[in-house]
Amino acid sequence: MNLGLGRACLFSSCRPIFSASASLRTVKPQIPLFLRPPTHSASLLDVKKWHEWAKNLTSSVGSSFVEFDNGPDSSLLCRELNWLLEDALENHSSFHFPLSCERDGSDHDENVLLRTSLDDLYSLWKQRIEERRPFQYIVGCEHWRDLVLSVQEGVLIPRPETEKIIDLVGDIVSNNEELGQGIWADVGTGSGAIAIGIGRILGSHGRVLATDLSPVAVSVASFNVQRYGLQSVIEVRQGSLFEPLKDVEGELSGIVSNPPYIPSAHISGLQAEVGRHEPRIALDGGAGGMDFLLQLCNGAAAMLKPGGFFALETNGEEHCKFLIDHMQNNAARSFHNLNIVNDFAGMQRFVIGFRQ
Amino acid sequence: MSSLILKRPRYRSLRFCQTTCSNTHLLSPLASISETQIKSPYSSNSYNSLLFIPNQKILVSGFSSGLLESIKDPTWSHFSGPKHGQFSDADEKDKVLASGFVVLKRNVSGFASVLPPRGDKGLVYLRCSCSYSTQAAAELSTSDGLTVDGIVASNWTIFDESEGDWKSHAAAIAQSIQVIKRRMQWKKLTVRLELLAVQLDKPDLWDDPVNAGRISREHGSLVSKIKEVKAFEQQLLEHIDMIKLAREEGDAEMESESLKALLEMRRNSKEKELEALLSGEQDSCSCYIEVQAGAGGTESMDWAKMVIEMYKSWAQRRGYKVSLVDEMPGDIAGIKRATIKLEGEYAFGYAKAEVGVHRLVRISPFDSGKRRHTSFAAVAVIPILGDGSTRVQINESDLRIERFRSGGPGGQHANTTESAVRIVHIPTGITATSQNERSQHMNKASALEVLQSRLDQLEMTRQAQMNAQHTQSLTEISWGNQIRTYVLHPYRMVKDLRTNYEVSDPDSVLDGEIDGFILNYFSACLDKEDDYP
Ligand SMILES: C[S@@+](CC[C@H](N)C(=O)[O-])C[C@H]1O[C@@H](n2cnc3c(N)ncnc32)[C@H](O)[C@@H]1O
Repeated sequence: MNLGLGRACLFSSCRPIFSASASLRTVKPQIPLFLRPPTHSASLLDVKKWHEWAKNLTSSVGSSFVEFDNGPDSSLLCRELNWLLEDALENHSSFHFPLSCERDGSDHDENVLLRTSLDDLYSLWKQRIEERRPFQYIVGCEHWRDLVLSVQEGVLIPRPETEKIIDLVGDIVSNNEELGQGIWADVGTGSGAIAIGIGRILGSHGRVLATDLSPVAVSVASFNVQRYGLQSVIEVRQGSLFEPLKDVEGELSGIVSNPPYIPSAHISGLQAEVGRHEPRIALDGGAGGMDFLLQLCNGAAAMLKPGGFFALETNGEEHCKFLIDHMQNNAARSFHNLNIVNDFAGMQRFVIGFRQ
Repeated sequence: MSSLILKRPRYRSLRFCQTTCSNTHLLSPLASISETQIKSPYSSNSYNSLLFIPNQKILVSGFSSGLLESIKDPTWSHFSGPKHGQFSDADEKDKVLASGFVVLKRNVSGFASVLPPRGDKGLVYLRCSCSYSTQAAAELSTSDGLTVDGIVASNWTIFDESEGDWKSHAAAIAQSIQVIKRRMQWKKLTVRLELLAVQLDKPDLWDDPVNAGRISREHGSLVSKIKEVKAFEQQLLEHIDMIKLAREEGDAEMESESLKALLEMRRNSKEKELEALLSGEQDSCSCYIEVQAGAGGTESMDWAKMVIEMYKSWAQRRGYKVSLVDEMPGDIAGIKRATIKLEGEYAFGYAKAEVGVHRLVRISPFDSGKRRHTSFAAVAVIPILGDGSTRVQINESDLRIERFRSGGPGGQHANTTESAVRIVHIPTGITATSQNERSQHMNKASALEVLQSRLDQLEMTRQAQMNAQHTQSLTEISWGNQIRTYVLHPYRMVKDLRTNYEVSDPDSVLDGEIDGFILNYFSACLDKEDDYP
């Protein structure tokens, strides 16, 4: 199903238009906190009170989350609190200091402008601590590589490990001009992170088709694409796996994907921020975690043009080895230079290769 | 002290003052380095001097062998037309005053040879090339041998500016020139220049283009600094010559013009004194400030935190962009170590005055026994070299990049905002950490920037360049090197141990009001330095 969300009809002015297709359950993307207008006002004293309250709440966490499910400790949460302030205050650079300075005798009657109400800040931080709502959903964005991507419930928060895929593609493209001028597909694009990273490398020379089954992901990805002005490079399409890419079968220069890969049985034991808040559709990879990975591997040969490149993120060593074996046994003549690439933590994370 | 110098033109060269020199033009000895630098004969930036000869009254101050060239058809109307008609018909008054070098070295020689036809209002355009290292060391004098040091030694009484005694002005200016030279570390500067000149002369210089570029850039920058001061000095001596001449001639108008010029110079000289405080090679750079807690647990970690907050506040007051690059929090309170980045003009120039150990005496809030504690925090400052300067080349393969790992399987399993990156430069063992950016990618970039500056700093220390004493890394700062004490109990005072400058309100200091300490350090400490004459 090609919903035609790319190119010409994506947006008019700043507002995404999703009414084009009646069949689409349209989702309005939320605006990240830092992009909202500073229409709320509060006294500096009240903001400080909130900050003190939030700090106390935070330090009460100590290392309990770490022990419970490898969650954040209080010092990391404190840093998040400063970032929340940074995103919520209109002019954080001038206010950050007095807030952190106990000796300061400045005028507490002074008002500051906020991008959300003080009440909202109280409830947001409560959610962070008491419900373990991910910080990125609280502020509505994730800093990933040099991008600031809008995220919201229903969309996976891009992981730092995935940043590596952009480096891999960057290297490939710089050594092969032709691939840089072709069409790339990001299957299961989520927030659009990988697609945007690649789109910025290709520029106007190439094209990226970003697909996802989830309407929230499609809407958020489109928002992010538009925010980086890449509508002419990246087209967002809704649909399952290769289905929305039928029109480019055998023509793709590259396929990249970070599909759901967590084995179903592991979902309940995940860190609260992930298991309780991130969408299951973005995480659950079936019994062995490889349902999507296998489908991608099996479909890649038909989708890629000769010489085309693919990179898939996996759950780790076991997945990597299995997939390489699988491809060598079943599609040895279709691919060459099959390889496993480590992530920054030294874990086997990615499977890469080229179409013969 | 609320403000130091906010801005300063990088290189200011001698500007001819038209009101005072309308007819008799001054020839500066600070002529061209090479002809290729000539832009316009009357550009104040060019290395050339104009010689205007109205009725053969010429003042030629010392300069080296040069090339004189007549320029026909001068178009600068403000230089034309003699006012001092009395000179044109008195042959014996057609004189040349030559202010020459007293100390002559190498190829530098007093030289004056200008023979324009009588009545010719043409301009003589002079180019000369000479070695700068020799000029820097050469001492300038008036036609009757008076030098800047000589003027200071004469102990002429310095009256208020408003009192129109030329000797008083001259003495004040001469004193300023001495202060400026001392602050610029004149002797070191000239030695360095000599060294660079020798290197520049080597035939194989350009075999290593990076090094050659660095040398010629540093040479160029030193030359222009020295030139500026020399020009100022020259101007003083010439005005003195002019005044003496005018008195001999009974030319009241000329005398009063020169007097005005001296007054103007006297006013400028104060500004120049301040500028000289920040004349170091890297002074205009942005910088990092690093603070590390000394031994003593939570109390000293709290102190380190207070110190870094003091700098954040100070930097913000000064209008610098401040960002936290790295912070290792203490277990209970405060910090073990922190790095902040200050972006803005002269951040390094000012902050370098803070390098050393800062000591706190107070009743520790962390001591249930309410005892008095003494704790220490070390401060280091690293310049962030600009694009113009040569930076150390870093090989990707020499780096080990360590990132935060969530532990466990990672990837989709974990959500964390922790994205700290630590980079180790394997050959030197130097490390840099960044953890305050919100993505790993950005932390890597920021840590690389810190690493680059640390390696540049190491290289600078290795080359023993100017400012090297201010760019020690934290590990090199000895805990014995205490520069300031902050006492909160039993009395309240902050005292700089280098200058004895003190302030009785520690709160204001800890709130970032440290300009007074910085200025005093520069003026008192640098002025004390036994570098000049
Ligand atoms: C692990 S997330 C990755 C998101 C994004 N690429 C990233 O790296 O941050 C997997 C994504 O695949 C999408 N997805 C799940 N099933 C899919 C399917 N059958 N077809 C296409 N996308 C699917 C999910 O909605 C989710 O956005």
